[in-house]
Amino acid sequence: MSGNLIEARGLTKHYDGFSLESVDLTVNEGEVVGFIGQNGAGKSTTIKALLGLIKLDGGGAQVLGTPSDELSHPSGAAVKERVGVVFDTVSLPGHLRVSDVGRIYRSAYASWDAHAFDRLARELDLDPKKAVKDLSRGMGMKLSLACALAHDPQVLILDEATAGLDPMARDEALDRLREFVARPGRAILMSSHITSDLERIADRIVCIDAGRIVFDLPKDVITDETGIARCRVADFERVAASGVVPERELRYLRHDYGIDVLVPDRFAFAENFPEIPCDRMTIDDYMALTLKGGVR
Amino acid sequence: MKRAYLIELTIFRDYGKQLLALGFLVAVLVGCGMQTVLAAPSIITCMFFMMGAMGAAAYDEQNDWGRFRLTLPLSRRDVVLGRYAAIVTLGLGGMAVGLLAAFAISAVTGAVELPGEPSQALTLDPGTLSGMAFATTFCLLIGATVASVVTPIYFRLGQTKATQLLPTIIVMLFVLPVVFLGNSGLLDGALPGAEQIAAFLAYIETPGGLFVGCAGMVAAAAVILAVSAALSLRLYETREL
Repeated sequence: MSGNLIEARGLTKHYDGFSLESVDLTVNEGEVVGFIGQNGAGKSTTIKALLGLIKLDGGGAQVLGTPSDELSHPSGAAVKERVGVVFDTVSLPGHLRVSDVGRIYRSAYASWDAHAFDRLARELDLDPKKAVKDLSRGMGMKLSLACALAHDPQVLILDEATAGLDPMARDEALDRLREFVARPGRAILMSSHITSDLERIADRIVCIDAGRIVFDLPKDVITDETGIARCRVADFERVAASGVVPERELRYLRHDYGIDVLVPDRFAFAENFPEIPCDRMTIDDYMALTLKGGVR
Repeated sequence: MKRAYLIELTIFRDYGKQLLALGFLVAVLVGCGMQTVLAAPSIITCMFFMMGAMGAAAYDEQNDWGRFRLTLPLSRRDVVLGRYAAIVTLGLGGMAVGLLAAFAISAVTGAVELPGEPSQALTLDPGTLSGMAFATTFCLLIGATVASVVTPIYFRLGQTKATQLLPTIIVMLFVLPVVFLGNSGLLDGALPGAEQIAAFLAYIETPGGLFVGCAGMVAAAAVILAVSAALSLRLYETREL
């Protein structure tokens, strides 16, 4: 397995009007991988493929060394003892009470820690008597996270797990995820539209668009090395002509008052063009420049 | 499979409790209304097999539970077998409630003198008990058959789509053959095999025949459920969630 707790190679799946095309994705031990992309880009389909919920047209994936297509079969189901999954909604029948949810997980997982679940439920203010349908979206996601953490998994696969959480609760959730991944042999794959969460927790960012991986970069490269230069039209021409950004790699996004340019090395850029403001890059900006920007 | 079964029972618990209480009430009303306790357990048994199959499928689509369930340490085989075990549990629970209601009505009407002659009609004599055993087992077979028809369709299509198609499928499987048979002329005049049927019914009325008949129907229900489970598994294995 060579340190890869999740490994996907050439994942291909065709639907009417959408295809996942040769998606490669790895999550290494100790890593938090942020999986980003627009709505309908293929994040959930990729996660479903990793979990063996759909039949692939090509390629393959492994989770903890077990082929994904075996995860729903008797030969591979036991591996899921070590995988915690959270989808973007509380994926449980609405009439169940929080305590019933604990009972379901206790039946499902040999490694279920009822005390840990009760403690997490208490800490997250989850009333054991409250029904799933009566929980707000945020409380529902807290319940899902508590369930995913209370059976001591090795890998967490989170699909929009922090959506709906208020800023305080998101902080708390991110702290718990950070604690989780700090222990040896663990990793997290986390799809999210809230890129500020990923800026705080992710080690690597993988972006998918129209079913294809667009970039797969260490987060620090995006947020620490690259920059966004706020150019006027004349500045833009000067930057393009200077060769500081290699030809055909100059990504830009025009807007009403100027042109934003993706700068691979913001410190070198600042030395060369001290008069052009160059801001620190955010994952959102990087994604926008990569997906919507032009290339020159 | 045990894990999936326990999960099904946890999900089913509240619905099951309501259903059992409702079943008891229906059994009492049917018994009193028909002035015989013979039919009550059979009706409840049949009803519970059907409601078990349909009720369980309804939960699968709530909040994507059917998809999420496969992220738990369960195989598709576990899910299918757990579902059938839960349906059988509910069906047998219904039978127990129906029988309990029948015995309760009989006991109450035996202890309390009612106006008219209902007390006598609701008495559990050997003839009523035999009839009740046969009718209940027969309805177990019918309920298990209906559950066996609908459950693979639910596993393949999901509850929403299956519910749209099921009336057509039920009509095609259970009504059209009777209509065709009636119009075919095969039943005009003497019923084919009428003598054998009459002999079989006479045999059923003997204590040995009753036992063989009931055991045969239970075995047939088990076989039908097993075949249905195998089909469900085949269909569910290829379903994309």
